[in-house]
Amino acid sequence: MDFAGAYSADNLKFLLDGLYVTLIVAFTAIILSFLLGCIIGVVRYAKVPVLSQISFVFVELIRNLPLLLIIFFMRFALPEVGIKLGLMTAAIAALTIFEGAMISEIVRGGLTSVDKGQIEAGRSSGLTGVQTLWHIVLPQGLRRMVPPLVSQFISLLKDTSLAVIISLAELMHNAGIIIGHGYNYTIPILLLVALIYFTVNYLLSLLSKRLETKNA
Amino acid sequence: MKKSWKLLSVMMIAMLLILAGCGSNNEGEGNAAKGESGADGIATIKERGKLLVGVKFDTKLFGLKDPASGKVEGFDIDISKAIAKHILGDENAIELKEVTSKTRIPMLNNGEIDMVVATMTITEERKKEVDFSDVYFQAGQSLLVKKGSPIKGIADITKDSTVLGSKGSTSVKNIKEKVPGVTVLEFDNYQDAFTALKTGKGDALTTDDAILYGMAAQDPNYEVVGEPFTDEPYGIAVQKGNSAVVKAINDTLAELKSSGEYDKIYEKWIGKTPAK
Repeated sequence: MDFAGAYSADNLKFLLDGLYVTLIVAFTAIILSFLLGCIIGVVRYAKVPVLSQISFVFVELIRNLPLLLIIFFMRFALPEVGIKLGLMTAAIAALTIFEGAMISEIVRGGLTSVDKGQIEAGRSSGLTGVQTLWHIVLPQGLRRMVPPLVSQFISLLKDTSLAVIISLAELMHNAGIIIGHGYNYTIPILLLVALIYFTVNYLLSLLSKRLETKNA
Repeated sequence: MKKSWKLLSVMMIAMLLILAGCGSNNEGEGNAAKGESGADGIATIKERGKLLVGVKFDTKLFGLKDPASGKVEGFDIDISKAIAKHILGDENAIELKEVTSKTRIPMLNNGEIDMVVATMTITEERKKEVDFSDVYFQAGQSLLVKKGSPIKGIADITKDSTVLGSKGSTSVKNIKEKVPGVTVLEFDNYQDAFTALKTGKGDALTTDDAILYGMAAQDPNYEVVGEPFTDEPYGIAVQKGNSAVVKAINDTLAELKSSGEYDKIYEKWIGKTPAK
């Protein structure tokens, strides 16, 4: 083990470059998958004809496939049918589709958990179905979704490391290159990478706790 | 519940049919594209003015990215540059794209790279998917020992020797076949095996010499001894049917060998001249 050699300034900067890519991919995918998940979740909650059935098939199909397969599909199967994505776009697209399917179930569950009496009250006070959803059901449902959503976002951030399979230059990938320089760097580098992932994700869960107490 | 099962199966079948349709369409196109590049793969490269090469970024001595400079360096890169010089007249008219053992064949067949120079062993199975150049690096299983060790090659390994290796690897199987009755200590990874060698738990460490040279490069007190006793020929892979590019690569390799440049590159990375 060579901690001093492993933690040289160049190596640390190289790891930070990787972390930057990880964070860009993670936060873009978090935003996009949240949007996708909300749309699908609401469509399925409101049982919009046709769209709801399509969404059902989409969600069941995607969440029963390994994410690794979806990443590989985006990178190597889509170009076969003429759709060429960059490395980062392929990773973001795969994460968005996969996590979006997961999040849609969280959203649907959150909405369903809102008491029926609330909807009846909304409708009988003259609100339309959409207004009831927007003003009554969504605000209450969203609050309940916060904890499962944040744990989904944390898994998303960790799942970005799977993009190492397509050589995206994220944190794990750059760690692998540094380890390639010396067998005795393995333990120091992996420990540091673990610490980085832990810190970022722990900050996310702290944020979630604050959101919960604020909304309670 | 029953209804959703029906719905799900109908949609799945529809999707499979669509995908199958795309697949068969694409097969025709793919072959056409391949035939084209096979005819004038060199013209495509010249038109682009740049050679696209798939190399490893994490393999010591062959293709390793330097975190400080961001440059990728190694034996494979020097060979790639020579090929770029041969085809385009400029060794810097090259773009290195990272490949791994899992991505190199798909990337080659997608047309993202012109060739794979990435410690790729020529095997019959791979020949069904890609075409290979002549051997550009003759790798094989070898022995790493402390400098000054009485072991100078596989012939010096006897029943009384202790050899270190990696658990379940073919190299452990090979050494047991070569020297029946030899003691082999197996470790989870090469790092542990190398540490064991340093602490004197064994007389020699065995695996592919390409990995052993990387270890020797890290610690000058250790050296690779003897000729490889198994055959792992590394070749440069191109899309199937791309004979013009294979020829350009083979011409480059022949030039490098006759001019002595190959030996220089070899010595620069491996630390000794190649076996004749």
